[in-house]
Amino acid sequence: MTGDLHGTATGTLGGRLSRMSLAIVALSIGLGAGAFVPTCLASDFVLRLGSEGLLLGMLALSVAFLMNQAGLVALGAASIYGGAGYLFAIGMSEWGLTPAAALCTGFLIIVAYVIVLGALIVRTNPLAFMMLTLAAGEMISHAVLLEGLRDYTGGADGLLVQLKGSILGIDVADLADPARFWSMAWIVAVLAGLAFWGIARSRLGAVLRAVRANEERMRFSGFNTFVPRLIGYVLVNVVAAIAGFLHVLNAGFVSPESLGLSVSTNALVAALMGGIVGSLGPILGGLIFAFAQDEFGARGLTQLLTGVAIVVFIVVFPRGVVGGLSSALGLFGWRREAS
Amino acid sequence: MIALLIANSLALASLLIMLSSGLALIYGLRDVINFGHGAIYMLGAYLGYTIALVGGFWLALVLVPILLALLGIIFEYLALRPLQRRSHIEVALVTLGLGIILGQVIIYIYGGEARSIDAPKILSGSISVLNLSYPVYRLFLIVMGLGSCALLALWLRYTPSGLYVRAVSQDPSVARMMGINADRLSLLVTSLSTAFAGIAGVLAGPYLSIDPGMDVAMIVNCLIIVVIGGTGSIGGAIVAALLFGLVQVAGSVFLPNLAALVPYILLMVVLLIAPGGIGRGRVLS
Repeated sequence: MTGDLHGTATGTLGGRLSRMSLAIVALSIGLGAGAFVPTCLASDFVLRLGSEGLLLGMLALSVAFLMNQAGLVALGAASIYGGAGYLFAIGMSEWGLTPAAALCTGFLIIVAYVIVLGALIVRTNPLAFMMLTLAAGEMISHAVLLEGLRDYTGGADGLLVQLKGSILGIDVADLADPARFWSMAWIVAVLAGLAFWGIARSRLGAVLRAVRANEERMRFSGFNTFVPRLIGYVLVNVVAAIAGFLHVLNAGFVSPESLGLSVSTNALVAALMGGIVGSLGPILGGLIFAFAQDEFGARGLTQLLTGVAIVVFIVVFPRGVVGGLSSALGLFGWRREAS
Repeated sequence: MIALLIANSLALASLLIMLSSGLALIYGLRDVINFGHGAIYMLGAYLGYTIALVGGFWLALVLVPILLALLGIIFEYLALRPLQRRSHIEVALVTLGLGIILGQVIIYIYGGEARSIDAPKILSGSISVLNLSYPVYRLFLIVMGLGSCALLALWLRYTPSGLYVRAVSQDPSVARMMGINADRLSLLVTSLSTAFAGIAGVLAGPYLSIDPGMDVAMIVNCLIIVVIGGTGSIGGAIVAALLFGLVQVAGSVFLPNLAALVPYILLMVVLLIAPGGIGRGRVLS
């Protein structure tokens, strides 16, 4: 039934090529529409929540990609997300850099850090990896509170950032505006999703999945199993860092809470909720989480529900909302090829 | 000075041994790391606080392990056993979720502020050993820690059930072929592990503070120890806990500015030298 629909649709439009260009046109329309239509329709409050959801969705995307492709669960997303914010804030306030320079410096420091950390921890088995990412995340949140670094990090109070100057022609101060920030976050999140979608279909994705399935066999077959996992680990953290930079550009403020374990578990829940297969699920999961948090957070139930959600989604709905919908409709059958 | 340092590190290590050997035991049988172990320890501490208010510290020290052993049985039947066929990562995530739920329920009941209980009269104050005065309670901690450690070693070494546990930890499929009932063992080991966490929680009351962040702080320490010790190796976990205690205490004396980071530095150094940890655990890759 669904196959017929597909057949007629592509038949009338003629061939693969036009389907490709149609997809590109549809994508650009979607990208543009998603970036600008909500800014006309939704209130500032909803846009703020939505942007928060998109940032969480990007974190979830990075958690989900590593989980789905490499079988590794990272519980340290917050340390990269918050760490990026801190580095940007320190670069702007302490070192007196321009926003673009602060971004680049922060980015390089984070990449260097995750390469070193990744080289240490991707060699271990998946369970040890999970424990080590948790430990590394806690290390960063302790480091920020160190007495000796108080002048830099502001201790428990966090740091305010004076947002002035511009990046790529965009005035940084403008990003505090909910509508503009939504557009920016939307475009970045969609591009990140597309990038992961592409990587999953590339050689790197194939090697990662093969290593996940049987590392020993891959090593015997002459594949290097260390470098692909390291590259995967660095890539997902790059996306987490971008989300962190976006957050600080919008909020103008970083706090130790952004490094906390709860941010990492929120990202995990968002990924599990949306479904870890593919790029759509995690971003959708982030949006769902943000709106659900608004509903329940006031009653102080967020953390409790996070725990419940982890258990329920793993035990009962391991494929998440998108996975469940796609199997129910059978429309997204192609999505499973990459799983 | 050196004697004090060693005594302090032994006191800290005692708590860590009780918790991390419990983690290593479950891992040996089920290949699962219980990320909710910190929350169980926290439950032990808060239950101990309540019971100590009503019936005194000693009652708490007896009652809490029993209650938590029951919790361990529930945990085994409701979580570990039904999820036996799922991947180990998924089960570990479920324990993480259960730990968050348990921690939040405790915070909901007891509120966010820190609590403290006093050591019983007989254990408060200090005694002087070799011209050094030392808190009695810490000596008691050391005795409890090393005592439980010795009991655990004797059990594993000299009893049939201990032998079976070692066998399953070494090679689950061969052990099953030899007719060992891993499910029944797991029931024993899980309840033992949670009971130990309960004792550790009660003992932590007068020594550390009882506060809402104690579960995460402790589970992170235990995970570091389990990784350093070689995942699943009980001997390794004990040695790693002693090492961890020493490094932590020495760090707070000699490098007070960096004390919070010292355990992580230890972890990184061990990972660099021996990625599989120092013990001979059953490491997957």
